[in-house]
Amino acid sequence: MKKNTLVVIGGLIIAGAIVFLLMAATPGSSGVELTLDKLLATQDQHQDDYVTVEGLLIEDSIKWNPDKIELQFDVKDNKGNLMHVIHHGTKPDNFVEGVITILEGAPTKKDTFVAETVKTRCPSKYEGQNIKNYDPETHKDKLNQPAKEQ
Amino acid sequence: MYLFSNAIIYLGLAISLYSLLIITLGISTKNQKFVNSGKGGIIALLLCSSLAMLSLLYLLGTSQFQYVYVSDYTSSELPIIYKLTALWAGNSGSLLLWTFFLTLYTAMIAFSRKMKGNPMVPYISAILMANAVFFFFILAFVSKPFAILDAIPIEGKGLNPMLQNPGMIIHPVTLYLGYVGLAIPFAFAMAALILKNVDDFWIKMTRRWTIIAWLFLSLGNIFGGQWAYVELGWGGYWSWDAVENASFMPWLTATAFLHSVMIQERKNMLKVWNISLIIVSYALTLFGTFLVRSGVLTSVHAFANSNLGLYFLIFMAIAVIGALYVLMSRYNLLKRSAGEFQSLISKESSFLVNNLLLVGAAFATFWGTIFPLVSEAVRGTKVTVGLPFFNKVEAPILLSMMFVMAVCPLLAWQKSTVKNLRKNFLVPAIIAVAAMGLMIFLGMHKAWAVIGYGVIALLLITHFLEFYRGVKARRKMTKEKPLVALYRLMIRNRRRYGGYMVHLGIAFIAMGIIGSQNYDLETMKTVPLGGSIELKDYRLNYERLDQKKEGVNDIVYADITVFKNGKKLGTYQPEKVFYGNWDQPSSEVSIISSMREDLYVVLSAWEDDGKATFVVKINPMMNWLWVGSFMIVIGALFAIWNGKYGNVTPRYTGVCKEVA
Repeated sequence: MKKNTLVVIGGLIIAGAIVFLLMAATPGSSGVELTLDKLLATQDQHQDDYVTVEGLLIEDSIKWNPDKIELQFDVKDNKGNLMHVIHHGTKPDNFVEGVITILEGAPTKKDTFVAETVKTRCPSKYEGQNIKNYDPETHKDKLNQPAKEQ
Repeated sequence: MYLFSNAIIYLGLAISLYSLLIITLGISTKNQKFVNSGKGGIIALLLCSSLAMLSLLYLLGTSQFQYVYVSDYTSSELPIIYKLTALWAGNSGSLLLWTFFLTLYTAMIAFSRKMKGNPMVPYISAILMANAVFFFFILAFVSKPFAILDAIPIEGKGLNPMLQNPGMIIHPVTLYLGYVGLAIPFAFAMAALILKNVDDFWIKMTRRWTIIAWLFLSLGNIFGGQWAYVELGWGGYWSWDAVENASFMPWLTATAFLHSVMIQERKNMLKVWNISLIIVSYALTLFGTFLVRSGVLTSVHAFANSNLGLYFLIFMAIAVIGALYVLMSRYNLLKRSAGEFQSLISKESSFLVNNLLLVGAAFATFWGTIFPLVSEAVRGTKVTVGLPFFNKVEAPILLSMMFVMAVCPLLAWQKSTVKNLRKNFLVPAIIAVAAMGLMIFLGMHKAWAVIGYGVIALLLITHFLEFYRGVKARRKMTKEKPLVALYRLMIRNRRRYGGYMVHLGIAFIAMGIIGSQNYDLETMKTVPLGGSIELKDYRLNYERLDQKKEGVNDIVYADITVFKNGKKLGTYQPEKVFYGNWDQPSSEVSIISSMREDLYVVLSAWEDDGKATFVVKINPMMNWLWVGSFMIVIGALFAIWNGKYGNVTPRYTGVCKEVA
């Protein structure tokens, strides 16, 4: 056999191994991304999933228990859906009314989401808006669209 | 000023169009006059983009809030340095910077001494001009840096506090230099294909420009990671976010090209592969920009959504289709006169493996990045793959990569026999295995860490042997002192030893990554005034909570005295800063750094009675990352520096009759 062919075969084996690795790793470490209303509607199906969901923070609902290091708050979407969130960790910077929170975790109990991570995506993050003037309505349309658009 | 700056953008668009057309005309009619006129256009264009950038800097510096860009990103009390760096805080400003770099690079090539009289110049210029037309079009019609407001606001909105950090001054600049830099090898590749001439001169020039772009890309990623580490307060430096991946992918493919081009140089093989790598790297820079600017993916970094991404996607499609067309039409030419592998175990084949792994890593990153989009299109649900996916997939690939890197220097070109394999590898392999044994004996039980450090040990030994043998051989001939011999050896083989230095830098970074990923500790605790937190052998005493004022910023800080094994290290102040315009505070972390580990303290929250919540982390070996990065820079600069010895650029051997 020509040496070139051998090398090509070796290369294909490596490439195959990488593809195999990809295939093997994808299902185990993936989660789903849902919109808030979809999550609330299909909560039972997703109890064991690692879910990413976005919602607007309601500032008045924030309860911070410093001794247990437990943060509780509610998020809403623009259709009036409400979800309670528990997070065993600290408050992220930028945690104000109407900020878009990206939550990752699992919806263990009815209408309650246990978040492993809470990130905020301030719409003004790189687009220096004055947060005081930030109007949650601005991004209303974005939250109503399918998750792709967010 | 308004008229002037806008006029300059439109003028730039006109000039770039003119240059593109006149150079193309010059090429097709073989008229040197036309080409020269186009080259004049390149200089005029550089002038345009510089003036546009200077005017924006001037407007930012003097806080002319009637301009949308100025009032969006600055405020009057901002320090002057951040007023100026707000140039790249938003879409249009950063595109202006990009355009400036592009025209700068173009002028550097069109008027380079090495390229004088070279018929590739008009082709390269034309291709880069096409890029310039695109960017000026964007600046003129889509994302206007000099748009003006109806009413003049009294005060601007201010720069996002997170961007007020030295890391943010330099990170975007280096990243853009890297991104733009990859357009140059692309232009070279296209020019060479059109001229049907892929010779040594081409390899040399393309490689040099690729190294420059690669260096800036590496720096951009490193500075970005460092910024995230000191500024964002989560104690990490890389999170496989879509935007990070966007700049990591071209880095991987450019790295692959830098290695595989050596096989082309030696054996005249893999020409199609190399050109493809260049095209892919270039396309990935555009794709990355599309990802970042379009907001199709959920990312914490994303710029404001706009249709800008779409333009980049269209431009990328045109570029890739054009490039593939050229490549296909020259396919037979490239296929001819290819060499052949002579052995399965040789330097050539190890380079090939390295290439497959790098491209594989790039593909895996790509896969993970676009997976949510693909799954949504196919199954309707948006399936995300997060950190665990990337760690699971990339770790083995990059570890094998390190292994190839470790054995490659000792493999011979052409063919390695069993005998010289044994001679070269027996001792390093034994030492590396012994090192792994020692690690286990010392109580390291994480398989990945032990294997990783074992591979790195092998890498360090083989690279040391390379230096050692080189010096020994040289001393035999010249009888120089060891250090003199080392110095002369290195400056006479810049590429080779520069490359090794980069390898060592990568090894240091890998050590830092393995250490900080596997052995980090974290605790979160709320303590009353006077209370203390213990983590490993550290004790942190919470002494005081107070606030101070710095300019317009209010700062709340805690005094923390840190003890290690009972010995006092000093008092540190993690802070929360309330920036002038912003309601919400940003964390300013305290980092106590040593080669062994970093102690990372964040003040998270406080109560009225003085109780405060801290996040304390121990991140081992973080400094190794920064040291390794420094070595990469030194190595890359060393490799491209024009030395006296044996670094003559080969003479251009292609067609000569055309215009230059």
